Amino acid sequence: MIRIENLTKDYGDLTAVENLNLTIKQGDIFGFIGPNGAGKTTTMRILVTLLEPTRGTAFIDGLDVTRHGKKVRRLVGYMPDFMGVYDDLKVFEYLEFFAAAFGIERQKRKSIVDGVLELTDLTSKQSVTVDSLSRGMQQRLGLARVLIHDPKVLILDEPASGLDPRARIEIRELLRELRRMGKTIMISSHILSELEEICDHVGIIEHGQMVFSGRLDEIRPHLGIQSKVRVKVAENRDTAVELLSALPSISKVEIVADYISVTFADGKECNGLIARTLVNADLDVVFLQPEQLKLDDAFLQLTKGIVH
Amino acid sequence: MTTTLVNSIVRFLRLSWVTGPIFDKELRISSRRRRNYVLRFGYIVLLTLFLSLFWAAAVPSQRSGLYQSSRMAEAGMAIVAAVMWFQFIMTQLVAIVMMSTSISDEIYHKTLGLLMTTPINSFQIVVGKLLSKLLQLVLLMVISLPLLAIVRVFGGVPWGYIISGLCVTLTAVLFAGSVSLFFSILSRRAYVVIILAILTFGTLFALIPVLGAMIFISSDMLSEGEFFRGLTFVNPYFCLIFMTEAMMSARTAALMGGAAWMAECIVFLLASGLLLLISVAMVRRVALRQAVGQLGSPPPVRPQPVVAGGDTVSSTDSLSAPRRVTGSAILWKELKSPLLGRRKVAFLITIAVGLILLFMTYAFFANEDALDDDDVHILYGVVFVSLGTLFTIILPATCITSEKESLAWPLLLTTTLGEWQILGGKFAGVVRRCLPVWCLLFGHIVLFILAGVIHPIALFQVGILVAWIVVFLSASGLYFSTRFRRTTTAVIVNFTFAAAIWAVIPLLMFLVAEIDQLDYDLLESYLDTNPFVHIVVILSATAGHGGLDSYYWMDISKRGASQATLWMLACMIGYMFLGLLFAWRARYRLRRNVF
Repeated sequence: MIRIENLTKDYGDLTAVENLNLTIKQGDIFGFIGPNGAGKTTTMRILVTLLEPTRGTAFIDGLDVTRHGKKVRRLVGYMPDFMGVYDDLKVFEYLEFFAAAFGIERQKRKSIVDGVLELTDLTSKQSVTVDSLSRGMQQRLGLARVLIHDPKVLILDEPASGLDPRARIEIRELLRELRRMGKTIMISSHILSELEEICDHVGIIEHGQMVFSGRLDEIRPHLGIQSKVRVKVAENRDTAVELLSALPSISKVEIVADYISVTFADGKECNGLIARTLVNADLDVVFLQPEQLKLDDAFLQLTKGIVH
Repeated sequence: MTTTLVNSIVRFLRLSWVTGPIFDKELRISSRRRRNYVLRFGYIVLLTLFLSLFWAAAVPSQRSGLYQSSRMAEAGMAIVAAVMWFQFIMTQLVAIVMMSTSISDEIYHKTLGLLMTTPINSFQIVVGKLLSKLLQLVLLMVISLPLLAIVRVFGGVPWGYIISGLCVTLTAVLFAGSVSLFFSILSRRAYVVIILAILTFGTLFALIPVLGAMIFISSDMLSEGEFFRGLTFVNPYFCLIFMTEAMMSARTAALMGGAAWMAECIVFLLASGLLLLISVAMVRRVALRQAVGQLGSPPPVRPQPVVAGGDTVSSTDSLSAPRRVTGSAILWKELKSPLLGRRKVAFLITIAVGLILLFMTYAFFANEDALDDDDVHILYGVVFVSLGTLFTIILPATCITSEKESLAWPLLLTTTLGEWQILGGKFAGVVRRCLPVWCLLFGHIVLFILAGVIHPIALFQVGILVAWIVVFLSASGLYFSTRFRRTTTAVIVNFTFAAAIWAVIPLLMFLVAEIDQLDYDLLESYLDTNPFVHIVVILSATAGHGGLDSYYWMDISKRGASQATLWMLACMIGYMFLGLLFAWRARYRLRRNVF
């Protein structure tokens, strides 16, 4: 649905994005991660036709964003990292204005606006002026605006920034709902744990270059990190350590707090063997849990955090 | 002990207790703004150009040395008067523009509440803002001081004129800045503040003196001399006119001994002080509201009315219902925004007072049997065209920049609206919003056509004039609005552009013609494209007795009605062509400088 090829954007001497390549399939939620000034917002602005690339191309649903700006704008809903408001308009008027701007017929507008208000839980606020809404409500309104013309692709720049935990959870649920509706979503965020829970793919960008792009479970091999499991036994922990250390597919066993951390030799995950070995030795296994590589950790390992 | 005392004295002398750190902050910010350097450079260039031309016109180089020497004193007086008037007008305008966002920017960026959490008080905020801007204006005035001192060597220019002129200018600038600062607390929009400040000045220094003259002179309560002498105490324009006349007629004694200017300066210092005190109280109230989060928060929930059966009406029902979007989205949005902010009652009261004052002038002229005098209609015509032109300069220049400032512009550009749809909608919005102001002119014309005082052809010719003014200035305003990020900059540039082509260039051409470097025909032809010349010529030919008189253009070849109409149509085509060029450039720039 989204294809970026050798995309470069220069601002004078500064190269914000350099030879960026990326593909996002239809129906995916793609998390776009990077330190401040890495080039995320510039890439998104090029995709929504607000900026022209210096070199390279980007396609949305097969349409070149520089050549077919108007058609691309019909396909894309963009929520920037700031809230642009017309302070003299009420919530309903604001949404209907954008519906009219997208050329939706007047007869259909009311039902569409009512629909997105209901989806974003803003129905009770429809007669309130936009500038008097709280930050969380304004973010919801931003999402409602993005959905008003039923775009196939949603490009959301930091949609959860500045929101309280409840509002973040609500936004996350809303994004899941949108994925169920078949939307392709590109989302940037600094709250990586949230992306982890909703994204199919992530892209990590630094200095305008993509340093990783793929599924979350592909990050560990990409970084050369070995798989780990956490094991907890009810008693005889030392016996368990001895038994596990003797297994050939395990490279390291260590006690961490009240559990045992087991590191597998390259590419040899054998959770079944661990369980069998411990049970055969008459040890009560309390839990056996694969140790996840957190997106935060991957992000820290992949980026140096140097801002342009 | 001694160190503490010295520090206290230094602090007192540095006036930091008056302005707090606000003064330093403002100066630091302004030193980083390119436009301030551009302003100073432009001011010097314009001043030098004026002076060179005034000098060349006053002392022709082709004449003998003896003749030139004999003209030195006269030339000196002309130059000093020109400099004085130039900086008197310019610094007031710049003060109004500079202060137009002084408080509103702090409110909009929510830093006012933040300042209230520090030991800085509202007095320091207001005075710090005013003095920092005033300092820049004083710098502009200081630029001209060496020049005035040198010119004085030529003789004929009394020190009294220079000192009194500078004092009157300074107090007028202080008052202009205070008025603009006061309005910037009430409105966030720079253009609203500029319009309100200019209208206030127009009312205080033009309309009220005219009405005063009507009341006091016509009822023989005061003689003409007494009235105008009295006016010099409360009107800086009349005060400077009086002083300039006194200097030119070598009535130095009147200048020095009259001391009306001193009283005028005290009056305006007091008026500025009063306005600043009101501003301090208002800033404090606004800042405290912002600090406790009341500003920009949802309106308080009203007690919910109980309906039959004991149910309450939902809170959304108690709010006024949203309006549906009809027609062009852009046009609808433009018309939805109130022209002068949300203070509808204050706005309506102002309109009502303005209209009452206007009708009072009609009543006066009717009483004087002067309504069939073409000069009276020319006066009304020029005032109405000036008002219409002012609004048409300001409104289009704010269309796009205000959306850039509120960060809504990128959102609009991600919709499927085309560039021409956006520009067309904005243009239609400008026309609709300017219409009430232009209706004053058309109302006047129609009224006196019906009364048989103005010939009906005036309506058609004024229609042509208004059409091209609106198209031309709207297009240039829209272009500058796409070109710049800040509303204030776009408004100033569009205003300067109009002032340059219709006032500065003709004046420069006149001066060049005076020193025999330019053919007067070219100047006259150029003046014949000026909208103010058009309205004067139209009304002098069509007003007075209902019949049709000759059209006295600068260029004498177009005296008949048909020739005049053809010339107006030609002007309209020319200006509209230029307007289209601006619109085309605006379309090209629409998606640039988005952020």
